[in-house]
Amino acid sequence: MASLYLLIPIALVFCVIAIKMLLWAINSGQYDDLDKEAWRILADEETDRSEHKKKEPPTS
Amino acid sequence: MCCPGCRAVASLIAGGGMENFYQQRTSFSPRPEAAPLGSAPSIVENFLHYDDPELAATFTEELDSDTCRARILLGGMTCAACTWLIEQSLLALPGIKKATVHLGQSRLEFEYSTQDIRLSQVFDHITALGYKARPFAASTARQQMSAEYKTSLKRLAVAGLGMMQVGMFAIALHAGDIQGMQEQYQNLLRWVSLLVTSFIVLYCARSFFSTAWRHLKIGAFVMDLPVALAIGLAWLASAWATISNSGQVYFDSVVMFTFFLLLARFLELRVRLRNAWMWFDVEESLPTSVLVKRDEKWVAVTRKNIEVGDIVLLKAGETIAVDATITNGSTAVEESAFNGEELPRLVHPRDTVFAGTVNMEGAVEAQVTGACNDTRLALLQRSMERGESEKPALAKLADRIASRFVVAVIILTSLTAAIWLTIDPQQALWVSLSVLVISCPCALSLATPAALTAAANSLRSHGVIVKGENALESLARITHILFDKTGTLTQGKLAISEVVCLGDIDQSEVLSIAAGLQCHSNHPVAQAFNQLASRINFDRVDYKVGAGLHSLDDYAYSMGSESFCRAYASTLPPPPKEPLYWVGLCKGDTPLAWIGLSDTPRSEAKNVVQGLQVAGLNVELLTGDSSEQGPVLAAALDIKVMHKGMEPQQKMDYVQQLQRDGAVVAMVGDGLNDAPVLSVANTSFAVAGATDLARTKADFLLVEQNLHAVNNTWITARKARQIVIQNFSWALGYNIVAIPLAALGLVPPWAAAIGMSLSSVLVVLNSLRLNR
Repeated sequence: MASLYLLIPIALVFCVIAIKMLLWAINSGQYDDLDKEAWRILADEETDRSEHKKKEPPTS
Repeated sequence: MCCPGCRAVASLIAGGGMENFYQQRTSFSPRPEAAPLGSAPSIVENFLHYDDPELAATFTEELDSDTCRARILLGGMTCAACTWLIEQSLLALPGIKKATVHLGQSRLEFEYSTQDIRLSQVFDHITALGYKARPFAASTARQQMSAEYKTSLKRLAVAGLGMMQVGMFAIALHAGDIQGMQEQYQNLLRWVSLLVTSFIVLYCARSFFSTAWRHLKIGAFVMDLPVALAIGLAWLASAWATISNSGQVYFDSVVMFTFFLLLARFLELRVRLRNAWMWFDVEESLPTSVLVKRDEKWVAVTRKNIEVGDIVLLKAGETIAVDATITNGSTAVEESAFNGEELPRLVHPRDTVFAGTVNMEGAVEAQVTGACNDTRLALLQRSMERGESEKPALAKLADRIASRFVVAVIILTSLTAAIWLTIDPQQALWVSLSVLVISCPCALSLATPAALTAAANSLRSHGVIVKGENALESLARITHILFDKTGTLTQGKLAISEVVCLGDIDQSEVLSIAAGLQCHSNHPVAQAFNQLASRINFDRVDYKVGAGLHSLDDYAYSMGSESFCRAYASTLPPPPKEPLYWVGLCKGDTPLAWIGLSDTPRSEAKNVVQGLQVAGLNVELLTGDSSEQGPVLAAALDIKVMHKGMEPQQKMDYVQQLQRDGAVVAMVGDGLNDAPVLSVANTSFAVAGATDLARTKADFLLVEQNLHAVNNTWITARKARQIVIQNFSWALGYNIVAIPLAALGLVPPWAAAIGMSLSSVLVVLNSLRLNR
């Protein structure tokens, strides 16, 4: 049971990190449009153009 | 395909490998307004002024020497598939590096290389896709809304994470109570809970305290007051219990309460913001720039900078941006938006044309008589704002009830506390806290918005956009439903309804000659013949504005108004008596036929009207058109009350008269002339393809060309009202049963918190039934 003295603070640290990341994500606008993101996964993101970009052989 | 625009878009979509749009779109876009094909190349010119660095600087920022980021507002987006189409097709353009569309805010952000592409090309591209584009002006109101959204999302997220933490500790504590737990560990868990809860109360629940305090200062009691009191007292008491190491702690109740309230508020905020962000601006329909004569040259000038007395060039197919008097040339202007007449009015030098009407035929020069804020359109808008302020405000009533309820709750709590202080001072705080929590009007305050939000969402997925949710409440109570004629009950465009052959000729031949001739005309009459497949080709056709067509070959066909045809064929009999729009056709001096055109009713109109009548509503027809078409349509659709030739002001007066007699009125319309009456009616619909002004003023926007949506919306509104009543009965019944129990000290605070949450959840779940 004594391990609680260590484990609870660790859990709290993780919680703080999670909150920090979440706030960062919200502030940087990642949650601004909740309607579109649900659809994005269904769309074929890889159009011809972006495929070209990715297939470009690395220089050198 | 309904128009050349659609064909262009469809081929663009298919050609660009974007067929997915058709699978993903959830609703149909409003139909683009018909514009003659010839006007397409001039679009780029219209946007040229955006290339001006000074103007461009207002909505772009430079990222590095070559790249700029621009923000554009988009009009006409209906679903997520639209955002995908715009993003993908923009990325296919050379020079566009990044494009993101915010559906909720109707906003496009893109980064582009200044060397590879000009802004006018981007605007042109978006317009060609069928969306409207305008520079994004960062208004403070928009920024505030965006900040509000982010803040409440942050608070909700933090409260959610905190609730999980405190909930875990609470389970450990409760389990410890049963199984026996050493006091040191119990203390540890209590202190950690206190730490986390304090953070949540100070960060997440701050808005409750500040709102309650702000209103208390001006003597108003709001829902937030008991909420703030309950959270504050429970937190302070639990903190005291922790510090003094005595009594019970209720941290889990505090955070749970906070989280659920924040969740409900956030969902409400989202719907509210979505409506606020929706871009329905009347000005978008007017061209942003106009060609003005300056030093004998035509210069594109922004509409706001036009002054009275300027000479402007009004091109064919364009919406006229200002009120002006024709100085040179003649044309026909379509004013259906103003007066419901689907046939254009012929204008000659010294005639006046109005902003918001469409120039159908030829380019004319005109002198501006009313610029920007002085147009008849602007006047109409102002009269509407007045009408709107007279609209009964339902929301205020809800506020008044809530404030009384809050006062009652606080009095009750104080009484409980006072009585318990005399019986058992130790228990007084906890018992009164239970009363406060259990009587918290959370479920009560959710009862209406939850049902209305669910109804709005369900309607949205069925092609109706709900702008004001209170409108659902009044829609459920309507007694009268008023329809506009042109474009609402009818298609809003002419179609061939009768052919009377005069000579030795059959109907199909008449029509194929007519179709061949009408290819050479921009007049709305010509649209009726567009669909005909068989047509004779004519090489040279003389087109006389507002009169008719005459082929310059051996046959010498002429087609047009009575007087025009009679000039060629003097034996032409007068047109038949039916109230149709008659067009004559002659070959040389032999009359061939009369072709009767009329605006055909929508196919579903009869069913819809019947359905509403069977349900016991008074269906009436109001039209600005003074011809005999109105009575004919009313008879065909079995509408008993019909008023024709009504000016916008008269329509408004009529509705207000009905309202004084106790009627609750819904109005369905589309035109500019309907906008004032739409704003006065208790609730209103704008049909698909309605003018922007009508869309701004209507409570419900139909996305698809189907009037059945009116009927469905009404049914949903009635269901929503039932759900609201159920919710209210539940919330009130629960309070009436639970408050005495709590006041007697039979309900511990944790049970009160769970009861409160469950009651709210039940209300929300009940409301969600509307989504099915």
